[in-house]
Amino acid sequence: MKKMLTIFGRDVRVNMKNFMAVFIILFPIVMAIGINLFTPGINDTTVNLALLSKDTEMAAYYEDFAKVETFATQGEVENRVAQRDNVVGILPEENGNYYILTQGNEPKEAVVEYAQVLKALYELDAQVADSNAVLHNFGKTVPPLKNTLVNAMILMISILGGMLISLNIVEEKMDNTVSAINVAPISRTAWVFGKSLMGLLLPLVGSFALVLITGFTYINFLQLAAVVVASALISIIVGFVQGLNADDMMTAVAGIKMMMLPMIGSVIGAELVSQKWQWCFYWSPFYWMYKANGIVLSGAGEWPKLLLDTGLVLVITALIFAYQAPRIRKGLEKV
Amino acid sequence: MIKVEGLYHSYNRDGDYAVKNASFEVPKGEVFGFLGPSGAGKSTTQGILTGLLRLQEGKVNVAGYDVKELKRSMFNKIGMSFEQSNVYSALTARENLRFYSKLFDVPTEDPDTLLKLVGLFDVADKKAGEFSKGMKHRLTFARSMMNNPELWFLDEPTTGLDPAIAATIKEIVREKNKQGVTIFLTTHNMYIADELCNRVAFIVDGEIKLIDSPRNLKLQYGQNLVDVEYGDGGSLKKETFSTVDERDIKKLQELIGRKHIATMHTKEATLEEIFIKVTGRELV
Repeated sequence: MKKMLTIFGRDVRVNMKNFMAVFIILFPIVMAIGINLFTPGINDTTVNLALLSKDTEMAAYYEDFAKVETFATQGEVENRVAQRDNVVGILPEENGNYYILTQGNEPKEAVVEYAQVLKALYELDAQVADSNAVLHNFGKTVPPLKNTLVNAMILMISILGGMLISLNIVEEKMDNTVSAINVAPISRTAWVFGKSLMGLLLPLVGSFALVLITGFTYINFLQLAAVVVASALISIIVGFVQGLNADDMMTAVAGIKMMMLPMIGSVIGAELVSQKWQWCFYWSPFYWMYKANGIVLSGAGEWPKLLLDTGLVLVITALIFAYQAPRIRKGLEKV
Repeated sequence: MIKVEGLYHSYNRDGDYAVKNASFEVPKGEVFGFLGPSGAGKSTTQGILTGLLRLQEGKVNVAGYDVKELKRSMFNKIGMSFEQSNVYSALTARENLRFYSKLFDVPTEDPDTLLKLVGLFDVADKKAGEFSKGMKHRLTFARSMMNNPELWFLDEPTTGLDPAIAATIKEIVREKNKQGVTIFLTTHNMYIADELCNRVAFIVDGEIKLIDSPRNLKLQYGQNLVDVEYGDGGSLKKETFSTVDERDIKKLQELIGRKHIATMHTKEATLEEIFIKVTGRELV
């Protein structure tokens, strides 16, 4: 175990000195920030209102339905509304009534009319308790685009783990250092496991960081870990195969990038292809990973369905390993 | 320390042997030279002894371990300095040695001590990728001493090094041997073998042709000659005399009595000349 960690520690040290590897390691965080910037966040679906601080009762009412900011003067409210984001001002007229102030480019139904309805409800003194509606939902709390992007990114991160393994093996081949490892008291198994750790830890840490930054804090993280580990195994195998067979970094990276095709195809297939043609994607482990990730991100916690999808990923991975094992063995003997 | 019996190795397992029926023993504390031209089977033999190549036929015992059932713990006892330097380019010299030291289960040398020994301490924090070929070679050499090996495999340890550095390396080898380290030296450089080895083996086409000490080989195969330069009528002449042939001895005595001797050197056969004489092959 100690020697396995020594091999892993060396890889981390070398990766930290390589721009491409650093980018791969930071990619999940960069993508998480990107997703937050370009898709509406879970907590950002509410309307923002700007009020005068003296309207305390009104502010207290609106805070149950919108994000409220208060300002000392009317001018400050006007300045806030004039900023880039969608903030609606509610200000008093001379006759005591209140008017709604907007920039004019806000979404009509989602922002302006919502603010109008809120104002009307306040004036009517309507309370949530007054409603006799019973709530039913499908359990979807996240915008579908965000869900899809985060799910696809988790798949992408597992591929990047394989890419790092591949880069690290190619680096050893270029320096011819495996021969030195072969005359050191460390077993081949420990070396292989040490090299694999990066392919396991990057997807785990990266996926956890991704879901936390993008606001999926309610999910079952054990479920996420189970799916990510199963997904990482296939990337580790491909990472080894590519690393052992490529002679330079760019060839290794290009080989791993080929995995993106079935990954993207599976995501598109699962999202856009009609149910009766879904079977066309059953061969792809990414299809099942995507399905399993979907269950995790929904927060629904359906273990049986999740284990079935993850199990299918493992079965396909085992088949791929059985097919690639001779290449890996041969490659390991050559280095 | 090393015992090899009836060793055969064929890369394609087709009867075309890179090593044929090799047998030899290296006792503890000896510097054993394995000499031969490129492609003679030196690296193959060394590869089998160090577990880099799988043993196919024969019996090989290294440092008390049967190579047929190789145990990784054997590598706690042996060190290997490769002909082609193989260090991590992205790591500094010190990082390279620190990493390697963590792979052993026995006490290891301090990386800085080793770097000082091979003259790389001043560049300890420089990336190995920025080193010259000679510096990388020295780092590889230093790494092979990391675990204070009982048995030390050296593959062309001075190749590509300038004479001063090569002299340092040879001195380290001598010092380690004095401390009781057994050394298996693979080289095609007969001068180094002559300087360092207690015994040498000549290997050609996968077969060991002979094993003996350099001194015995010179006595057995060398000619006892003397080169003499002397003044004769204003000019300098040069002649070679045998020190065993009666007529030559008489002529040499007369020459010493009659002429002015400018220089006189005994001429021993070199290991290289003996190698060519024994094997009929050049050391290319």
